[in-house]
Amino acid sequence: MERWNFGANREVMIAPSGTTVRGVLKKIMENLDKDDPSRPTVPLGHGDPSPFPCFRTTVLAEDAIVDAVRSAKFNSYPPTMLGLLPARRAIADYLSHDLPYTLTPDDVFLTMGCAQAIEVTIRVLACLGANILLPRPCFPSYGAHASSNNLEVRYFDLIPEKGWEVDIESIEALADENTGAMMVIINPGNPCGSVYTHQQLKKIAETARKLGILVVADEVYHHLTFGTNPFVPMGVFGSIVPVLTLGSISKRWLVPGWRLGWLVTSDPNGILQKTKVVDCIINLLNLISHPPTFIQGAVPHILEKTGDDFFSKIIDILREAAHICYDRIMEIPCITCPNKPVGSMFVMVKLNPSLLEDIIDDMDFCLKLAKEDSVIVLPGVALGMKNWLRITFAVEPSALEDGLGRIKAFCQRHAKKH
Amino acid sequence: MENGTLNHGVDTGSTITIKGILSLLMQNIEEQTSKKRVISLGMGDPSAYSCFHTTHVAQEAVVDALQSDKFNGYAPTVGLPQTRRAIAEYLSRDLPYKLSSDDVFITSGCTQAIDVSLAMLAHPGANILLPRPGFPIYELCAGFRHLEVRYIDLLPDKGWEVDLDAVDVLADQNTVALVVINPGNPCGNVYSFEHLKKIAETAKKNKILIIADEVYGHLAFGKNPFVPMGVFGSEVPVLTLGSLSKRWIVPGWRLGWFVTSDPSGMYREPKTVERIKKYFDILGGPATFIQAAVPRILEQTDEAFFKKTINLLEHASDILCDTIKEIPCITCPLKPEGSMAIMVKLNISLLEDISDDIDFCFKLAKEESVVILPGTAVGLKNWVRITFAVDSSFLEEGLRRTKSFCQRHAKQLLRY
Repeated sequence: MERWNFGANREVMIAPSGTTVRGVLKKIMENLDKDDPSRPTVPLGHGDPSPFPCFRTTVLAEDAIVDAVRSAKFNSYPPTMLGLLPARRAIADYLSHDLPYTLTPDDVFLTMGCAQAIEVTIRVLACLGANILLPRPCFPSYGAHASSNNLEVRYFDLIPEKGWEVDIESIEALADENTGAMMVIINPGNPCGSVYTHQQLKKIAETARKLGILVVADEVYHHLTFGTNPFVPMGVFGSIVPVLTLGSISKRWLVPGWRLGWLVTSDPNGILQKTKVVDCIINLLNLISHPPTFIQGAVPHILEKTGDDFFSKIIDILREAAHICYDRIMEIPCITCPNKPVGSMFVMVKLNPSLLEDIIDDMDFCLKLAKEDSVIVLPGVALGMKNWLRITFAVEPSALEDGLGRIKAFCQRHAKKH
Repeated sequence: MENGTLNHGVDTGSTITIKGILSLLMQNIEEQTSKKRVISLGMGDPSAYSCFHTTHVAQEAVVDALQSDKFNGYAPTVGLPQTRRAIAEYLSRDLPYKLSSDDVFITSGCTQAIDVSLAMLAHPGANILLPRPGFPIYELCAGFRHLEVRYIDLLPDKGWEVDLDAVDVLADQNTVALVVINPGNPCGNVYSFEHLKKIAETAKKNKILIIADEVYGHLAFGKNPFVPMGVFGSEVPVLTLGSLSKRWIVPGWRLGWFVTSDPSGMYREPKTVERIKKYFDILGGPATFIQAAVPRILEQTDEAFFKKTINLLEHASDILCDTIKEIPCITCPLKPEGSMAIMVKLNISLLEDISDDIDFCFKLAKEESVVILPGTAVGLKNWVRITFAVDSSFLEEGLRRTKSFCQRHAKQLLRY
């Protein structure tokens, strides 16, 4: 074969060596027994409840998009790559409801889902030559984009025994004058299912300020809380420390396939502007893609007119599912759940492989579970915590019961004989 | 790992985008509180004009996909299988071999396909050959990916053909690709089969692949039919970039593709494919329901719609050329044969107090509320790019005002 100047064997700059949730789930799903049609696969691995009828989005949102498409007024490029002004204004208003100050449309940048907001954030930090602190466990896209952009990452711990609280001491230990341009806080938590209190968030903000770093608040699961702690946006502490807020309609409206997200500067002191972070965001947004114009066009209607009854309905289903999940897990000896989930769509549970015969670790557990029982869960190694598992409970309650029942049976079958 | 501050692409002064310059020009108009309606001949986006609108089939396909409620979730990161298959079939109609759906990756518009190609090819010390004049997004993406840019001139006296001798001179063992935009933006040219073949042979000789930017694919109305570079895919690996945006007049929908047109399998090597897939895993793809509408859009749009667009473009290009002939200080080296734009040369020496193309455009905007793009934005100083995918009455008025501007600024002839 002729030698060409490009090719997989050249050392590459863009070498995504990080994992992604979808990447790991793909590997596990390859292990499914395709010859077993009798048992449908129970997907407890990913954060996409939209296939289930109980998790249908509101017709109001769909109608808003249909109207935008049929108007034929939104087939063009938007006037600016930062997003249609009415959409940016609507998001600014929507987020300002929960803040002690008002965001303006200039604070809001539209992205293709929260996924692209993550990409932009990491690439901007890479441009500025900075590096980042990530929680462990963490949603792996942060690490994957960091490695793709040659950005150094350091991990601080979340403490399972304390409701997955941020280990402030571990952050302080990691930072020196060369490190930590930013830390990422995912709240409500993915993968942990935790919801931080006002007090905890304030402490995080003060720590970041002390270290001179900004906070990236991943709030894609904003308002999806069903325990005692209400959702408090990190932007509340925007005058203590500059905050980049990431979010989307994907989770609250159950439409991850619509790809409508945002990157917002919750920074009333304008520090992100002064330090050129905003310029960098704008430069990058000018050359990457943006959400379809007609979806942007529908945003004001979606954000302003969706009723609380839709939101409450979804929260009720998630609460019930979280209970089922927790109760069933408690019945399984080799799995422990340090914290009942109180938000988002996930729970992190600890696996004890020593109680199992011929299961080496979490990845092995997941591969065999897929093969033998057609249930998909995510191995914690994908999130930085080996021998843990992330289980999604945002599925139809009957499917959840079925899946957890099969996991219990699997564990019993593989239990070490005494 | 890069050390020090990584400034590529961040220096605000150097990030020229077409949209950036056009909005500066527009601001110039607003400041003058002009009474004339603004005529923009600056953007390759005809969707704002009543005569150019997408087909009903496309709109309804999207509405149906949305209302089915089957596509509110995530699509696979490489794209829905039915979408990949449909695009493979669509593109294969014009190729001597069949693309497989594995060759097709769905992107958010052609712009993201550009980002992906450069990201996949970048390696330490690599360089890429870009056409001049060209499309500035390539420079911006190259900057972000630390790819050195080397320019290959397009020759105005030869129908904007690629200067292949320059390729031989500038390519070295670190060159990864040559970018070819056909039908051409900004030049409005459509390359002949023979020229495309020579480009392929030159690329092969230099061991570089071709990035074939075919976002204006099939928008050809001159003597040369559109020939996809993938036709030469067995000679030299081709990465084909395209989208629905131009042919279906829906740039706002963000549905594009990155395709490995490579029947001899250079790009089907497992490690390369893995790398592409892994990169797509971290990108956000286009909205699932728009992807789901693609098979129907590609299969059911009828020829009449395509013909109508071509006719409108051809008619507009005729108006454009005829009017330019009447303006002494502007020359048009090539009547447009395709795409939606044309490059014309300014003869600054025939104008009083106009220093260059940027000055020309700013003064034109201020005095006549007409917006055209200074050629500096696309790599050719003292040329300008005029887009003609607009209502013909708009075009006529815009050109009339431009002519009047040129007459007003013409140097007075010496009297003897």
